[in-house]
Amino acid sequence: MNEAIETIGRDLGRILKALAGLMFVSLLIPIVWAEYYAIPALIVSGLVPLAIGYFFTTKFQEATKPGKLHGMIIAAVGWFCVAIFGSLPFYFIAWTVEFSPTLLGTPSQTTTLAAFTDPLNALFESMSGFTGTGLTMTDNEEVLPRTLQWWRSFIEWVGGVGVIVLTTAILARPGSGSLTLYESEARSERIHPSIVSTVQTIWWIFILFTFVSILLLWTVGMPIWGAINHGMTGLATGGFSITDNSIATYDSAAIDFALLPVMLLGSIAFPIHYLILQGDLRNLYADLQTRWVFIYMSLGTLALTALVYVGDTYDSLFTAFRYGSFQFVSAATCAGFQTAVDSTNVALGRWPAQAQLTVTFGMIVGGAAGSTVGGIKLIRALTLLKGIGFRISDVFYPETAVRRLKINGRRLNEREMRQEFEEAAIIAFLWFVFLGIGTFVLLLLLPEGAYTLENVIFEVASAQGNVGLSAGITGPESLPTLGKIMFLFNMWIGRLEIIPVLVTIRAVFRRGGIYR
Amino acid sequence: MRANDLPIVGELLESGAEDRVFDSLLLVGPLLILFIALVGRSILTTGLALSYVVFFTAYVLYRGVRG
Repeated sequence: MNEAIETIGRDLGRILKALAGLMFVSLLIPIVWAEYYAIPALIVSGLVPLAIGYFFTTKFQEATKPGKLHGMIIAAVGWFCVAIFGSLPFYFIAWTVEFSPTLLGTPSQTTTLAAFTDPLNALFESMSGFTGTGLTMTDNEEVLPRTLQWWRSFIEWVGGVGVIVLTTAILARPGSGSLTLYESEARSERIHPSIVSTVQTIWWIFILFTFVSILLLWTVGMPIWGAINHGMTGLATGGFSITDNSIATYDSAAIDFALLPVMLLGSIAFPIHYLILQGDLRNLYADLQTRWVFIYMSLGTLALTALVYVGDTYDSLFTAFRYGSFQFVSAATCAGFQTAVDSTNVALGRWPAQAQLTVTFGMIVGGAAGSTVGGIKLIRALTLLKGIGFRISDVFYPETAVRRLKINGRRLNEREMRQEFEEAAIIAFLWFVFLGIGTFVLLLLLPEGAYTLENVIFEVASAQGNVGLSAGITGPESLPTLGKIMFLFNMWIGRLEIIPVLVTIRAVFRRGGIYR
Repeated sequence: MRANDLPIVGELLESGAEDRVFDSLLLVGPLLILFIALVGRSILTTGLALSYVVFFTAYVLYRGVRG
């Protein structure tokens, strides 16, 4: 048996066992909310990954430790498997209600829940949750059983921690942004030297911030169940909601503004949070990414406010600022909460094209590497900008001149600079290639004239950036089957920053060659 | 028995910013949310929740200024 397959199989088994644990923990929800009919479905959903996980971990228990290459493949395959098995609660609960066995006392079926009897819709929801995207196959989240409302929030929350761990501990490599975070002159080491203690610390910070977020949202008027769910999905910048019109349902400026710091917390690198909690507030402005999170969010907010105000989308400056600030921060932090909907104001899909493209720009760039956000990430955008400036100014120096590029307090030599710049350029390039392919495919699939080009670019950028804002295209009926499959791929590559997925695909197609 | 000896809780407390105040906030948080879920919205629960958030923010700033 191939040694690499054993290692990957063993770790996938562990991941599946952990997933089963999440499902068993979630049994508390149907018990508390008296949704007893959901319990058998949840137990079966947990037993399936548990059995498979147990089989793999037992069979491959002697496997060697994973290397960097294994790490990439485990992350890519693991995320996909977790999405597949994580869809089981949606599928089984929907079918339980569909069959409606008298013994279980099921409620009547709704069109929202019935959508999950299609396994593709269930998988879409699960992938959207675990990747922290927030695009949904439901048309009214309010009528979902509390168990599924919780499961959607919970998988986004866990997925949020997963991506921080992935980028700060497992996939950190030259050019990934995470090394730039750690290796600056001011911070010579990681949060903690070992991956295990790093993961524990990330959990510590994440749980503490979750409690603060929940209590903040409840204080400003959100009901407690909404505060728990939105606190979790807001911090994880996932964006799933338990209400029909996302945050717009509350139609409260206080809730809108209270969610801004929650989403911003999720978009700042967690190693920086750790330093700030230790009393080093300088990082709020001294750290390149954190400084730019604030600059970029402020500039985006101003631009979007101006566009929707001048474009007469809103008639008062305060309203324009309220919706402009929320939608830009929601997009750039990749949370995907929506306050701009037709039932209370003007839907995003009907904003002026310039405003929609400004929101799209926010989704593409994203926030800081090492946080829960998607997109290209600020550090890569800044590396590209600085690298381009460096290359252009190079012409004005003699060939013998020794120059160094300074990024985030690090003075990079020629080799390091090339490595960082190359990785940033490759990921940005691939990001736009897949955005282009996605846009092209969606234009082919959607009925002609139903959506504008900016709607389509917006939706694909939202899926690939793991944002979740929608121009109205995503839905169980409105998005064709091929479109759903393509969005599954967009969400998957977006979460893993493309490279690990391409490495995995290469390994699958050239099995043997890569492990030789 | 100390909080650090408890399973899961003990491991969590050993991580983080190694600060007793933050650790306390971490332990009090779920209890407060549970209390709010049971009691509902009142002056007492609103005051407690607001105090939690304000105290957390003030303490982060205090540590920053002191450090």
